[in-house]
Amino acid sequence: MKITNQIKDTTIIITLDGELDASSSVMLDEALSDPEIMTYSKILVDCKDLNYISSAGLGVFISHLQRFEDAQIKLIFYNMQDKVRNVFEILGLDLLMTIVSDYEEAMTIADE
Amino acid sequence: MLYRTNAKSLFITSALISWSLLLANVLLAAESMHRGSSNALNLPFVNNFLIVVFIISVFGFQRLSADNLKGIDFIGYLWNIFAKGGIAAYLSIALYMVYRVVTNYSSMQSPLLLHMVYQVNFGLLVLFLAKAFYVWRQLILYHKNKFIQIAWDWYEILLFATLVLTLLNFNYSSLIFLPLLGLIGLYTLFLCTNLKWVAYLTFNKKGRSLILLVAILLACYIFADFFHGFADSPLLVIDYSDVGFLLLAMFFVALYTFAAFLVALFSLPTSSVFEQKSEDLLNFQRLSQSIQQGQSEKQVYDMLFESTVKAADASAAWLEVFKGEKKEEVELCHQLTIEEEQIKRIRHLLLAYNIQHIDYINNNLDRNPGFRDLTLPWKSLIILPIKSKKHLFGVLYLLKDIEQGFDRETVNVLRTFTNQTILTIENLRLVHESLQNERYKEELKIASVVQDSLIPKKFPSDSWFEISTYAKAAKEVGGDFYDFLQLSESRIAIIIGDVSGKGISAAFHMAQMKGIFHGLMQQDMPPSEFMKQANSALSRCLEKTSFITSALYIIDYRMKGFMFARAGHCHTLYYNSMMDDTFYFQTDGLGLGIIRDKSYNNHVREMYYDYNPTDVMVIYTDGIVEARSPTNEEYGEDRLRYMLTQTYHLEAEDIKYAIINDLQDFTGPTENLYDDQTLLVIKFKPTQPSE
Repeated sequence: MKITNQIKDTTIIITLDGELDASSSVMLDEALSDPEIMTYSKILVDCKDLNYISSAGLGVFISHLQRFEDAQIKLIFYNMQDKVRNVFEILGLDLLMTIVSDYEEAMTIADE
Repeated sequence: MLYRTNAKSLFITSALISWSLLLANVLLAAESMHRGSSNALNLPFVNNFLIVVFIISVFGFQRLSADNLKGIDFIGYLWNIFAKGGIAAYLSIALYMVYRVVTNYSSMQSPLLLHMVYQVNFGLLVLFLAKAFYVWRQLILYHKNKFIQIAWDWYEILLFATLVLTLLNFNYSSLIFLPLLGLIGLYTLFLCTNLKWVAYLTFNKKGRSLILLVAILLACYIFADFFHGFADSPLLVIDYSDVGFLLLAMFFVALYTFAAFLVALFSLPTSSVFEQKSEDLLNFQRLSQSIQQGQSEKQVYDMLFESTVKAADASAAWLEVFKGEKKEEVELCHQLTIEEEQIKRIRHLLLAYNIQHIDYINNNLDRNPGFRDLTLPWKSLIILPIKSKKHLFGVLYLLKDIEQGFDRETVNVLRTFTNQTILTIENLRLVHESLQNERYKEELKIASVVQDSLIPKKFPSDSWFEISTYAKAAKEVGGDFYDFLQLSESRIAIIIGDVSGKGISAAFHMAQMKGIFHGLMQQDMPPSEFMKQANSALSRCLEKTSFITSALYIIDYRMKGFMFARAGHCHTLYYNSMMDDTFYFQTDGLGLGIIRDKSYNNHVREMYYDYNPTDVMVIYTDGIVEARSPTNEEYGEDRLRYMLTQTYHLEAEDIKYAIINDLQDFTGPTENLYDDQTLLVIKFKPTQPSE
C-alpha cells in the first residue's frame, strides 16, 4: 500500500495504490488524522490503483466521514475499480459518500 | 560389592595370620639365638614367604579400601594419610621409647622384647606405606590421562615384582640390581611430577596441607631412621631393610610427599591468582545458569555487582539500573562504600563531559581537573554500560583508590561479566515473553471455545425447510456470526452478520450483536425496525472505526413467504424454482454503525418475498466471495451464483458441500484464511407440516 498526497490550492488529492487491508489502513488513518488536512476544503481520493479494500479500510473512511462533514470538507472518491465500488455499494456507502467516475467530474463536483 | 567385602576380610585375615606366624617364627629364632645355638633363621624361605604374604595382604586391603576421588577435598586425603599412617610412625617411636626406658630401667637385655617391638614396628611401617602409597596413587591419577594411568599401572606391577627378589632371598643391593634400582628411581621421580591437585588448593588449604605434608615427611623419617638404625644389627635375627620393596615404597612415598611439599610451598604466592580465576569462572557459570534456576533480573544484577567488585578488587562501586524505556528513570540498586552525594557529583561531571552511558576508563583521575575538583578518595574509574544493540539496561561504575587500577586483564574480565549479564537478562526477558505469549494463546483458545458456543450448532429441524451451515474463522476468534430465534410456531428469525476487522475486538462486537438480536427480537419486530434499533444500540457501544453488516430474515411458513432487511451485508443469493432462475436480491441498506444518528432510518429497506417449495436461499459473508485464488483473483458473486445453478436440485447439505468444495478448489490449500467464512444454505421443502 502506497499513499501519496498532492496539493492543488484548497484541494488535497490522496492517491491510494495497492491493497487497503488491516495493516495499511493504519497508515491511511494516520494520513486522514493529520490536523493539516482540515485546512483544505476538498479531499479527493484517487482509487485507480486501489485493488482491494477491507472492512478495516472502509472503517477508516467511515470514522472520518462525520468529521469532514461537520467541517464542510468534501470527500470525493474517483477512478474506482468495479470490484471496489461493489464493496462500497453493498455496504450502502455509495449513498453516503460521493463516488464519481473520473478526475474532471470530481473537480466539478468539488467546485460546486 | 560382596566380592569386595569378601576380599577385604580375606586380606585382613591373611595379614593377621601371616604377621602372627612371622612373629612366632622370629621369636623362636630369637630364642634359639639367645641360647647361642645358631644365628640364622629357621626356614628362611618360609619367613620370606610370610613377609611377602603380609605385605601383599596389607597393600591389597588398602588398595580396595581407597575410594575414588570425590570432589576436591584434598586436605581430607592428606589428613587420612596422617591420621591412619603417620600416627603409626609416632606410635612406633613411642613403642621403642618405652622399650628403651624399660630396658634401661631394669638394665637388662631382653632380645625377645626387642624382637617384639621390631616386629610391631614392621607391621606399622607396612600399614603406613600401604596407606600413603594408595592415597598418593589417587592424587597422582587426579585429572589423569590414559598415559599416566598406564605409567602408574606398570609402576605398581614393577614394584610388586621386586617382592619376588625377597621371596627368592636375593640381595637387592648387589651390583646387578643397581642399574635397575636407578631406573625405578627415575620412574618414581617422573610419577612424582603429577601434582595437579595442588593447584586446586586455596591459600588457606595450602597452608594446612604444608603442615600435614611435614608431619608425613617426619613419619617417613622416623621409620627410615628406626629401620636404618637396626639394619644389620647383630641383636636381631631378621632385617627388614633387606626387603627391597619396602625401600622402594618408602622412597616413593617420601619423594612424592617432598615434591608435593615443595610445589605447595612455591605455589603459595600465586594461589590467589588461581583462586580469583576459578572464582570468576564460577561466577560466570552462576550467571549463565541463572535462567534455568528461574532467577529474577534483580538477582542477576546482584550477582554481576558482587562478581565484578570482587574481580576488579574495587574499593567503591555503584550500579544503576534503568527502569522501563526511559533513561531518566534510574534506580540506584547497589552501592558500595560510596555516598549518594558523591555519586551525584560524579554523575554531574560525567553529564558535563557527555560520557554517561559509554565505555569509559580513567586510570588517573587526579590528572583530570574536573575529577580533581571533586576531591574524591579514588584514583581510577571505569564505567561499564550494560547494553545490547537495542537496549540500555544499566550502567556499572567501579572505583579504585590506586592509579592504573584497571589494567587490560581486569577490564576484559569485567566486560565478559557485563556481556554475560546482558545475555542473561535478555534471555530472561525472552523466556518471560514466551511464557506470556503462551498464556495469551491459551486465553485465545478459551475465547475461541466461548465464541464457538455462541454460534448455534443445530437449527430446529422442521419438515418445511432444511438448513445447512458452514463457518470458519480466519483467526482463533472471528467477526462472523449467525443465529436464529423461533418467534412463534410458524415463524423463525435468522440473522447473519459480519463485524468489520478480525480477531478479539471483532469477536466482542459479534457477541454484542448476538445480545442485541436476542434482546430486540423478543419483541418480535419487522426486520427494518430491528436494523434501526440495532443501529441505535450499536452507535453507543461500537468503536469508531468499526461497523457491522447484517441481514435479518423472518420466515413465515404459514404465509409461505419471508421478510428481510439488509444492512450493508452481502446480497442474498436466491433460486426460484417456479421461474427456474438464480439471482441476487438487490436491495439497498446501509451497514450498522456507519451513521450513528436517526438519519440511518432512511437508509434501510425491507422486502417481502413469497417462496415456492424447493426454492433455495444462500446467505453468506464476504469471506466467501472475496476469497482469493493463488493468482489473487476473487471468488466472486458470479461463480457463487453459477454453483447454485448447478446444484439447486440437491439437498441443502449437499449444496453447501458443493459450494465449499468449489471454494476450496479455487483458493487452493491454504492454512491461513484471509477472512472469516460463513455460509448458510436454506432450502424450502415441498412437504408442508400437517396442520
